[in-house]
Amino acid sequence: MGNFTRYLIRRITAVLVMIFLVMSLNFFIIHAAPGDPVTIMTGLENPSKEIIETLKKKYGLDKPLVVQYIKYFSNLLKGNLGYSYVYDQPTWHLIRERIFPTLVLTLTGSVVAFILGIYLAIWVSHLRQRFGETIVSTVNYILYATPSFWLALILILIFSSKLKILPTSGMYDLRASYHGFRKFLDLLRHLILPAGTLALIQLPIFYRVTRTSIIQSEKEEYVTTLTAIGVSKEKLFKKYVLKNAILPTVTIFGITLGFSITGAVLVEIVFAWPGMGRLMFDAIFRRDYQLLLGIYFLMAVLISIAMIITDILIAILDPRIRIT
Amino acid sequence: MDEVLVIENLTVVYTKNGKRIKAVDRVDLKVNQGDMIGIVGESGSGKSTLAHAVMGLLPSNGFIAEGKIRLLGYEITRLNDDEMRKIRWKEFSMVFQKSMNALSPVHKIGEQMKEAVIVHEPEIGETEVESRMKKVLDMVNLPHRVLKSYPHELSGGMMQRVMIALALINNPKFVIFDEATTALDVVTQGQILDEIKNLVERLSLTGMVITHDIGVVAEICNKIAVMYAGRIVEEGPKEKILYDPLHPYTKALISSHPELAEGGGRMRGIPGNLPDLSKEIKGCVFAERCPHAEKICFDDRPGFVKISGRKVACFKIKEVEE
Repeated sequence: MGNFTRYLIRRITAVLVMIFLVMSLNFFIIHAAPGDPVTIMTGLENPSKEIIETLKKKYGLDKPLVVQYIKYFSNLLKGNLGYSYVYDQPTWHLIRERIFPTLVLTLTGSVVAFILGIYLAIWVSHLRQRFGETIVSTVNYILYATPSFWLALILILIFSSKLKILPTSGMYDLRASYHGFRKFLDLLRHLILPAGTLALIQLPIFYRVTRTSIIQSEKEEYVTTLTAIGVSKEKLFKKYVLKNAILPTVTIFGITLGFSITGAVLVEIVFAWPGMGRLMFDAIFRRDYQLLLGIYFLMAVLISIAMIITDILIAILDPRIRIT
Repeated sequence: MDEVLVIENLTVVYTKNGKRIKAVDRVDLKVNQGDMIGIVGESGSGKSTLAHAVMGLLPSNGFIAEGKIRLLGYEITRLNDDEMRKIRWKEFSMVFQKSMNALSPVHKIGEQMKEAVIVHEPEIGETEVESRMKKVLDMVNLPHRVLKSYPHELSGGMMQRVMIALALINNPKFVIFDEATTALDVVTQGQILDEIKNLVERLSLTGMVITHDIGVVAEICNKIAVMYAGRIVEEGPKEKILYDPLHPYTKALISSHPELAEGGGRMRGIPGNLPDLSKEIKGCVFAERCPHAEKICFDDRPGFVKISGRKVACFKIKEVEE
């Protein structure tokens, strides 16, 4: 396992460098955006110079950008994610309780999309007529082109407003205070629509990749060999074709997981999901630099972890890829 | 002499873009017990198609339009996929052309070799399978650890040996080697060729060797059938074909081989190309490239003539001989 430890150390070092670069870029881009937190905090009507000066001094915004930059990173190294000007609280406190909801939502959405996409591709592969595939592909393209927030609204209209079987928003029923298993069920009920939206949006990618990959794998030489030696069609597909075909899908899963964490923002807002989405949205509008950077930092870390896990998973599934 | 394989009037057609391509055109062939027959011809001559038809492994756009194949008493042309699956690899087997991708890259070789045994003998014990796999690996000079390896961990030559071992695992009564050495480098090619030769002698294998390399046939086979554009043009004992070829195409083919060519190893190419197989060819398939061709060669299909110990399909055989 010495190889593996060395691999992990190398990957983590690379990730740290990457996060540093991403954060530096984010830092300057955010500061380059027009407007600043102090003006927004004080409002539009001619604020007094004194208030502005005091606030700027208080948050260290009067210093040159480079100094702010160095200060931010030295804080980050100490484990201090910064201080939110708008909420007047340490950033970490604000983010802390929103990590879990965001992770639950995006992971559920992605995993459901991953599994459904693969199953759909397998199902289509077994269809005898091409007609079925045409229908599935068409629906797939439509879904692929659908904006997430619009789909979210439509789902709310159908399942919450008309059918009244699912809640419109939130993560738990606020009027009831459930505990234990009931609480979990309540979470599931609230999770269906937002996670379903995310799953439907991502489904096309997994379906497409798996389907293409199955078609590709079925043409490989080993299919001829294994057919020739007498392996039944069913076993050939389940044991051999599928394992080969699923590799690109796993890779795609790792890559999209990163995007889906950030992409869930709009869906979180539509469903009033208490995740990082709303927080991030507000932080952008109020130029809450440090909160925004804190959120970005966390996302970068989560995405990096997702990528490392994907790499390890691929290496386990595919013997040709070795972790060294 | 027992007839192991009898092919009668076999025609195999591929459909592509609405065209019907006759890859094998009314071929007759017999293989007796103990014979190793070499099917020689250039690319597109239909030799591989012939092999796949015998194995019941034609691609989905190819089908047997006419004729019969009787292999080890089975009427291959009358069996459906399931029936074929039950006897293929139990009674007869094949070594495939491209060995590098011939096994699944994400499954161990042993796991895949095992399938060939357990599919046909479901009640066989684990240790028995193991020992049988080891036995065939020994035959092809591979270490037993290969069973625990993945295909990408082996060299091209080793993979080719694995494929030969796989073909021999159920002690087949008939084996086809389809371009078994083509994809290898020259040195490995020589080694594998020697090994196949040894195996053929030791196990007294009956079968077919499909190749475009007449040198391979010279090593392994005792009989040769020369194919051109889907038809067999000359067939007979190896010595006759190699050292006394009669059909103009066989002559041209042999004179294009560096070691077999007469006249101090001077090679000669054959001018022209294969005819378009999607069009009906009335006469002799080689007529267009044949230096001896006359009107009759273009108008009628030549039948086989038995002459000095072999069969030749040529009208002008008398003149060619002189």
